[in-house]
Amino acid sequence: MMDIGIGDRREMGATVNVGAIQTDMLRSARFRVEREAHWRQLDDLVTRAEKGGAAALGYDEVRNLAGGYRQAMNSLSVARDISLDRALIAYLESLCARAYLVVYAPQESLGGLVTRLLVQGIPQAVRRSALPLFIGFLALILGALAGYKLCTSDPSWFYAFVPPELADQRTPDASADYLRSTIYGDDEHAGDRLAAFSAFLFSHNTTIVVLIFTLGIFVSLPSFILTFYNGLILGAFFAMFARKGLGFDVFGWLSIHGVTELAAIAIACAGGARLGLAVLLPGARTRKEALRHQGHDAVKLAILAALMLIVAAFIEGFLRQLIQDPVWRLAIGWGMGVFWVGWLLLSGRENNVSREPVR
Amino acid sequence: MSQSVQNGKRVEQFIPPEGVPITFAIGSIGSRLGAQILDIIFTAILIFTCGFVIAFTGILPSNVEAMLIILLGFLVRTPYYILSELIWNGRTLGKKITGIRVINASGRRLTPHQVTARNLMKEVEIFGPMSLLASIEYQSAWENGLAGAWLLVVVIVPLANRRRQRLGDIIAGTLVIDNPRSVLLSDLALTPASASSQAAFDFQPEHLDVYGKYELQTLEDVLRDSTKTSNHKEIEQIVRTITRRIRYEDSVKSGQELLFLNDFYRAQREHLESLKLFGTLRENKYHEDTRTETRRLI
Repeated sequence: MMDIGIGDRREMGATVNVGAIQTDMLRSARFRVEREAHWRQLDDLVTRAEKGGAAALGYDEVRNLAGGYRQAMNSLSVARDISLDRALIAYLESLCARAYLVVYAPQESLGGLVTRLLVQGIPQAVRRSALPLFIGFLALILGALAGYKLCTSDPSWFYAFVPPELADQRTPDASADYLRSTIYGDDEHAGDRLAAFSAFLFSHNTTIVVLIFTLGIFVSLPSFILTFYNGLILGAFFAMFARKGLGFDVFGWLSIHGVTELAAIAIACAGGARLGLAVLLPGARTRKEALRHQGHDAVKLAILAALMLIVAAFIEGFLRQLIQDPVWRLAIGWGMGVFWVGWLLLSGRENNVSREPVR
Repeated sequence: MSQSVQNGKRVEQFIPPEGVPITFAIGSIGSRLGAQILDIIFTAILIFTCGFVIAFTGILPSNVEAMLIILLGFLVRTPYYILSELIWNGRTLGKKITGIRVINASGRRLTPHQVTARNLMKEVEIFGPMSLLASIEYQSAWENGLAGAWLLVVVIVPLANRRRQRLGDIIAGTLVIDNPRSVLLSDLALTPASASSQAAFDFQPEHLDVYGKYELQTLEDVLRDSTKTSNHKEIEQIVRTITRRIRYEDSVKSGQELLFLNDFYRAQREHLESLKLFGTLRENKYHEDTRTETRRLI
């Protein structure tokens, strides 16, 4: 750092002469006059870099930025010692803070971010979260089983589990023909209504998924309960259709988007569980550190859940109305399932050599 | 990274590799709330205009329209904050207007993971309680109680820690700071008034031994206040106080007050700075007392 101070003194020879004329100047005022031009130059560079990113600067300008930054830091250090001019110190403090952010905390380059996330980040995060994923799917399956059992023994449970706006006239009291018509949207009118319903369902599901994930921070219990409750609704629906002898048809109807959608809910629950586990069992870390550590994978699980939900929404909005054959519905639904599993288990494996988790 | 409170402002100190500590002022709760409200307004305007355009053009069938608007409502929430903070390096539109930004608490660059994590938690901390508040009439008493408790937790967390981090900030390891603004004010020791009429007022060393750094910088603030002219009452008052305190014999003529203060500022600063250079820092006018006190303590 010393050589920079000496170097700019030599560069600034002209200004030093100006200073020498005013011999009666205070030491700190002379210090300022000698360096002010450089600070202003740095100020300009920093302002431009703040506006358009470091990419807005040319090669020489970036070099000047680095040099100017070190010199301004040097000036700040000296000014704190020799000057009592508050305006000067305040200016240098803020200039150095801004330059620091430009030099040491520049914008992360966004190129390749998405590819890296899809190829390595998300699959690796999923493979690291076996236990939370188990918790998530367990909550969903337990809920579904409980809902199914309760509703087969007493259909009135259905009204307790399923909110009326979600049931949409599909209740245990409806006729088998009506229920069949909701599964196979034959006429134009029903198809129209179904689309509106699927739009509603999408917003419902996103809210649920977001809640399941984020509430996980409260020791993961809310995530578990919400997922369990979603399982209950699912089980109750299935039981209602199964009682009318439509078990296979509703299985196909649910499969085509449900495999993706319900997996998204379970994965969101797993993400929430990771946060909750960090609070509950921080291990050797402090809770704050544990949260931060688990947050890396939890956030990736949340992004995965959001992706799957969007895919599910498209399947639901378009394919479900187009494809009426239950066998095809099953094939597409579980085919998507195989695709997800394959992607999450196989992608990003070759990077095992570098154990550094991708962030 | 250490934290402390300076003149009522919370600051975060970083020590860069250059070894000179630099400070950032932690963003106040008020400006953060303002930024959040502005962002909500912007996103609401966006949804409404898009909704109107979709509804009025009417090319699309109604069910697709409904789907699009719901999708839009979803995309404009968390993804808006994530994208804008990624693109503008920690600043959403609202944050830009209120002059705050997000930085990594370790002082390095803000990673996409941090941006995503802190904004996902917004669902818990802002949107969740907001929708609960909106439906407060339709909920039972215990649901309202639960919503209240939730709101309380969310509000208390940023108030309870020194760096004003909300839950999302803690998880992501980020800080919200005031965007530093740098304005270089002129050097008062160089103002033409004192430069042209050289040493109209003479100060002896004993005149300058009274005040310290605090008084000097207070005087600096007064001199920078351009609304005050020589005949201002406050200026006259200050001149009278100073001449009495430092036992300055010559009287200051009317109209010369600012000139006197400028000269005094310059002389006082020169004196204190040279003292400081030799290791004596006088914080304020009580420096005599503190010196005797420390002597007594020794």
